[in-house]
Amino acid sequence: MSATTTAPAPPATAPPRGALGPRLISAFSGTTGLVLKLACLAVLNAFAGWALFVLLSRHHWLASALLIVATLGIDAVYLGPRALPLKFLIPGTIFLLAFQVYPIIYTVEVAFTNYSTGHIITKPDAIKQIELTSLQPPANGQTYTMSVAKDSGGHVVLLLRDDATKKLYVGTTKGITPLPPSSVHSTASGITSAKGYTVLHGLALFDLDQYLQTYVVPVGNAGIRPVSTTTAAELEPTLRYDAKRDAFVRISDGEVFRDNGRGEYAHGADALEPGWKTGAGFRNFSRIAHDPLVRQPFIRVFAWTFVFAAGTVFLSFSLGLFLAVALDKRGLRFQRLYRSILVIPYAIPAFLSVLVWAGLLNDQFGLINRLFHLGVPWLFDANWAKVSCILVSGWLTVPYFFLVSMGALQAIPEELTEAARVDGGGPLQIFRRVTLPLLLAAVGPLLVSSFAFNFNNFNNIYFLTAGGPPQSNSSIAGSTDILISYTYKLALAAGKGNDFALASAMTIIIFFITAALSTIGFARTRVLSNA
Amino acid sequence: MMSSRKRIGALLVVAIAGFLAALAGSIHSARAAGPTLTIWVDQSRKDAVTQVANQWAAKNAGVTVNVVVKDFGSIRDNLGTVDASTAPDVIVGAHDWTGQLAANGLVEPIYLSAAVKKQFPAYTLNAFSYGVAVKKLYGVPTQIENIGLVVNTGLVKVPTTFAQLEQEALAYKKKVHGAVGIAVQQGSGGDAYHMYPFFSGLGGYIFGTNSAGNLDPSNIGVANKAFLQNSSLITKWNKEGLINSAVDSSTAQNAFLKKQAAFWITGPWNSQLLEQSGIKFKVVQMPKIVDPSVPFLGVQGFMVTKYADPHGVGGLAEDFVANYISTPSAQLALALANGRYPANTVAGKSVHDPVLAEFGTAGTGGVPMPNIPQMNSVWSDLGAAWVKATKGAGATPAKQAFIAAARSIADKIG
Repeated sequence: MSATTTAPAPPATAPPRGALGPRLISAFSGTTGLVLKLACLAVLNAFAGWALFVLLSRHHWLASALLIVATLGIDAVYLGPRALPLKFLIPGTIFLLAFQVYPIIYTVEVAFTNYSTGHIITKPDAIKQIELTSLQPPANGQTYTMSVAKDSGGHVVLLLRDDATKKLYVGTTKGITPLPPSSVHSTASGITSAKGYTVLHGLALFDLDQYLQTYVVPVGNAGIRPVSTTTAAELEPTLRYDAKRDAFVRISDGEVFRDNGRGEYAHGADALEPGWKTGAGFRNFSRIAHDPLVRQPFIRVFAWTFVFAAGTVFLSFSLGLFLAVALDKRGLRFQRLYRSILVIPYAIPAFLSVLVWAGLLNDQFGLINRLFHLGVPWLFDANWAKVSCILVSGWLTVPYFFLVSMGALQAIPEELTEAARVDGGGPLQIFRRVTLPLLLAAVGPLLVSSFAFNFNNFNNIYFLTAGGPPQSNSSIAGSTDILISYTYKLALAAGKGNDFALASAMTIIIFFITAALSTIGFARTRVLSNA
Repeated sequence: MMSSRKRIGALLVVAIAGFLAALAGSIHSARAAGPTLTIWVDQSRKDAVTQVANQWAAKNAGVTVNVVVKDFGSIRDNLGTVDASTAPDVIVGAHDWTGQLAANGLVEPIYLSAAVKKQFPAYTLNAFSYGVAVKKLYGVPTQIENIGLVVNTGLVKVPTTFAQLEQEALAYKKKVHGAVGIAVQQGSGGDAYHMYPFFSGLGGYIFGTNSAGNLDPSNIGVANKAFLQNSSLITKWNKEGLINSAVDSSTAQNAFLKKQAAFWITGPWNSQLLEQSGIKFKVVQMPKIVDPSVPFLGVQGFMVTKYADPHGVGGLAEDFVANYISTPSAQLALALANGRYPANTVAGKSVHDPVLAEFGTAGTGGVPMPNIPQMNSVWSDLGAAWVKATKGAGATPAKQAFIAAARSIADKIG
């Protein structure tokens, strides 16, 4: 048996016209190849040059350095005569880094922060935002139509018209003084000119934007602040930032809101919004372990996830294998037609099929119940919904195992089954003793990977039942929620908005569960192939 | 193998290409001299917003407007993750995003003069206001929408009491094979939004308000006393088949359009479909059950983001949103382009579309969807309670279903 352990890989579909490869290679060597290569590299370098410019202008120093090193490295590898293996490895490596390694690093990083609703921005931004939102119009606070102007000394002043009383003022950083109406020309949209002042328009005005944001005309305890390019409002801060203590003080009662180390300024349970993103250590993981909301349904959800994944793989593999064996018969008419039809589910986007199935399985209006006059609550009964999930997932996966089994069957040398038949074995016996073991050795790893895929098959569950029907005892997890859809509900659709950090922590745990199960699975298949 | 001269030539080509690209990049970024206002809108509003924004820009010489089309939901989701240099200064959004965006510190307060405020119904401004300590306005409402009871007047009379509605719907269901009582969408995932008229009519509410007038997430009214007392009606409707959770959005729509239902609960997004169907219909508010059966109100509008200030267009963004979008002419253009009713009442006077007007009347007394982020915890549980209580045979008694939902919501909000 040992001779066959390495042989039956999935169907070897190497075209018989093997000349194509060498012909291609020869077409692209020589001058054509050189020009093509240089053109590609030039485009790549142009792109890198542009990216470098953008990165430098945004002060991303580390990324800029990495970009330079990587680009020069790629140029060196492809222009130089050595490092032939690298020429083949580099493209794959780049995609691996970009689409696999980077997201993983990012997920792990997020899992150790408090990244969630209310903790999105940086601390300096949060301080600015708290200051801005703490401004409140005082009782009888006025709004003004405003024109920005310069006085004879070149200082910026605000020409104000009270929206209620229509009285005119000039506001400076020292206070407001009334303007004599006779010296002012104004229209509905504001003061257009005033004696002794130059009203600013267009770019002269827009350039002052950031300066005007800090401009305050003191009036009593409050101040008149520009709130747009043409309006101002009387506003009073309710909180004061004390930079020395890194704390906010509530002006009305002197209450102090301190940085509580969890990304917010808080006084007891009272926290100011917004907070900011900061490190959280293992807090997300300890929440998963201790929070009853998370912990209580975990085992049940985990068990169902296992049943769902295993059931799907078992159903689809056994059916796929059965069909492959059935259609493997030589001389069968319309063999190609049958095979094509069986592969159709594979060609339709999975989530689309799932949505169609959700319609077909509707218990009152769905085609299946109406056609067969059944009253099966396919999606509304906890157990039937589980059956539906496995059936639909199985239906989607059958073509895959049909194709794989078909290929693997063809790779089993006919001499073996022939020999078994000569030795007097019946068809069933031959299948069980000869074909199946050889087949399992080949498709074993695929069974494991299919299991891992279905273990995290969010689409099927979410589009078919959305995790429903709801459990009778109250909890976030519905009857058909698998770990990943449960994570989604827990972290993104519960509590106060989105908890990306908790979701990342859960994902990491699910990763370890999947990895552990797959490792066990692969170990088993290795035993199988060595048998 | 290349000769060394060839290789040097190749290197030169490659280096020059890179240099030229960098140069092109720097020229491109140096070009825009005046300020640029970046606006994120969804596809359906793109043309109207572009037109209104350009009218405003024409009054502010030197300003360029850059309208970027985004999927409506991603406007909210991407605002927190977008790179600051390409971030929008103004966004189009729904009022129920306000809490989440403000709690994240992503949007800026807006100040309207008393005269402008007067042109808007108080609830529309309230819908865009949020604050734990200090309540601030974060958006200028542009259009309002709500669901109503669409009655096929060719088949039944417009009911004036709930008893009439119940009787007519059941009589029609009996008469026509395979018909549904009231076509209101749920599906296995539930739909608390479309069920809200039933919920409010039975005395249910989502969040109470505290003394400061803010929504109070610790006061959950999903299983309040009055509602639980009335909830036996749900069990009755379920037995009669008046409403059934197996009806999902496409089932509900098809049932009404194919005369398999005389009543449909839906919103103005289907008004075109209704008008094209040739069915004679009228839109009304669902008759009072115990309390008035008011719908949820949805308000959409414009907000200024936190990126406007660092972009140096804070004042301009506020001017555009607070002083221009709020004007009747802009409001009318924006709302009509989207087939909705404008939020500005002055603009509302020039709307003569009868269907829109009927939907507007159907929203009388409605409740804006709570805009605090805790609302995230409510949708699925409240929807699920309705699913459990109205799934026909084997349904959970309504009282039990809603008590469970209230407990689960409270657990999640924590």
